[in-house]
Amino acid sequence: MTHTQKRIIINNLVMVLSTLSAVIGIGFLIWILGVLVINGIDALSMTIFANEGAPPGNEDGGLKHALIGQLILVSYATLFGVPLGVLAGTYLSEYGQKAKLAETIRDVSDIMMSAPSIVIGAFVYAIVVAPSGHFSGWAGSIALTIIMLPIVLRTTDDMLQLVPSTLREAAFALGAPKYKVITQVVYRGAKAGILTGILLAVARVAGETAPLLFTSFNDNFLNTDMSQPMASLTVTMYNYATSPYEDWQKLGWAAAFILSMFILTLNILGRLFLLKKRGK
Amino acid sequence: MATIVDITEEKALKVKDFEFTYAGTDAPSIKKLTMPIAKHSITALIGPSGCGKTTLLRSFNRMHDLYPGNKYNGEIIFKERNILTPKEDLIKLRIQIGMIFQKPTAFPMSIFDNVAYGLRLQGIKNKTELQGRVEKALQDAAIWNEVKDRLKHDANGLSGGQQQRLCIARAVAVEPEILLFDEPTSALDPISTAGIEELIVELRDRVSIIIVTHNMQQAARVSDYTGFMYLGELVELGRTEELFVTPKERLTEEYITGKFG
Repeated sequence: MTHTQKRIIINNLVMVLSTLSAVIGIGFLIWILGVLVINGIDALSMTIFANEGAPPGNEDGGLKHALIGQLILVSYATLFGVPLGVLAGTYLSEYGQKAKLAETIRDVSDIMMSAPSIVIGAFVYAIVVAPSGHFSGWAGSIALTIIMLPIVLRTTDDMLQLVPSTLREAAFALGAPKYKVITQVVYRGAKAGILTGILLAVARVAGETAPLLFTSFNDNFLNTDMSQPMASLTVTMYNYATSPYEDWQKLGWAAAFILSMFILTLNILGRLFLLKKRGK
Repeated sequence: MATIVDITEEKALKVKDFEFTYAGTDAPSIKKLTMPIAKHSITALIGPSGCGKTTLLRSFNRMHDLYPGNKYNGEIIFKERNILTPKEDLIKLRIQIGMIFQKPTAFPMSIFDNVAYGLRLQGIKNKTELQGRVEKALQDAAIWNEVKDRLKHDANGLSGGQQQRLCIARAVAVEPEILLFDEPTSALDPISTAGIEELIVELRDRVSIIIVTHNMQQAARVSDYTGFMYLGELVELGRTEELFVTPKERLTEEYITGKFG
C-alpha cells in the first residue's frame, strides 16, 4: 500500500466516524423532540390554558396555575438578575479590567455557572425558606436569580470586551466622561450580544426544576402572592409525570411540550439577534 | 542634540524635556524630548516603528491616562499652561485637542448623531443649532453631498474613506484648536487617502495639525514641518521641503533615503 492510499483510507475512516457520531447525537435530539411533540400535542387542549389544577380523575384539570406561576417566577428573576448581571459585567469589563478583584469575580462566576442548581436551591432554602418558615415565590425567584446572575455577568463582560478599544478612545477624545462613553457608545456596540446573553439566561432558568423544589415548591391552584408557595411548569411537570394517574401524566406531557417550545423560541430569538448583528 | 529649525510662527504647543514611560516598564519610551509645534500649520511626525511618534501624539490629549500606570515627566505647554499636571481638566483638554485614529471609529449610531455627539456632550440641545453645526462640519469634511440624504442612516453603512471623513467631521464640529491625526490613511485605499490628505491641507487655516505617518511621501505632500524621531528622541525638526531635500542630520538622511526603517 502506498503512502497516499494509506492517507486516503485514514481520511475516509475519520470522516465516517465523525459523521456517524454527529448523526447519533442529532438522532437522540430528534427522538426526544419527536416523543415530546407526539405526546404533548395529544395532551394539549384549550382547557389546559383555561383551568387550574384538579384532583386526579377529574377531566377538567389544567395548567393555568403553573403557566402563570412560571411566568411570575421567571419575570422576577429576570427583573433582579439582568440589571445586577449587566452592571457587574460592566464593572468587570470597563472598570476592573485585569485587576485582581475582577479576575477573582470572573473565576467565581465561572464556578457558579457550573454549580449544580440543586445546591443553589438548598442554599436558598437555608437562607430564605427555613428562617421564614415556609416555601414562597420570592425564594424561588431568588434561586433563579442566583443561577442567572453569572450567565448574564459573563456574557456582558465578554460582549463589552469585544467592543474595540479605539471606539472608547474616540469617544474619550471628544471629551466624553467615562459613564457616557459606556452608556452611549460601548453599550450600543454590544447591544445584540448582551441581549442574546439575556435571552439564553432566561431560557436556562426557565427550565430549572431542582432549585424550585426547595424554594417556591408547588401549588395545585392559581396563586399570584409571591410570599406563598407558587406553582411552576417544571415542578408541576415533575409531580404530574411521577404520579400514578393517567390524566395527570397527560398534563405532565403538555407541560413538558409548552416549556420546551418556550425555551426553543427564546434560543432561536437569541440566535436571530446574533445573526442580525453579524449580517451587518 | 536635535537639530530644530527656528519656527517664526506662533506656537500651538511647546514640548519641553518631555519623558514618557509606559506602565510596567522602567525605560522611558520618549526621552527628554523638546519640540515646538507651529500654530495653523501641519507638522508631520515620521520615524521607524517603535520610535515613539504615536506615543508622543497620544500624550498631547493625555490619551495615555485611560490606562493605569503610565508616567509623564517634563512639560507640554498649551495656552501658557503645562497640560501634564494632575489638575488638568482632561474633558476640556480633549475638546480643545481632537484626535483622528488609524482605523475609522464611527460610533454605532446614525450619521447625524455621530457628528452631533461632541456637540451634545457640550450641552448643546437646540435642534436648529445642532443641525446647523452638523451640516457645517460635514461640509468642512467634504462629505456633506454624499450623506445629506441619509443622515438618519447607520454610520457603519459608509465606506472606510467616508467613515474616516465622518470622524474628521465629528472632530471638527466641536471646533478644536489642534487636531491630532494618528496614521489616518493607513487603513484606506489610495483614492480615499488622497481625499483625506486634501482635507487635512484645507483644515490648516482653522486648526493646528499634527499628523503621525508611516508614509514619508504623505509627510512630504501635506506637511509644513516634519519631525523625524528615532528611538524615543527627536532627531531633527525642519521645514518639510528642507528636511527631505537637505537634511541636517546624517540619521535623517539615512532614513529618508531608505537605508533603514
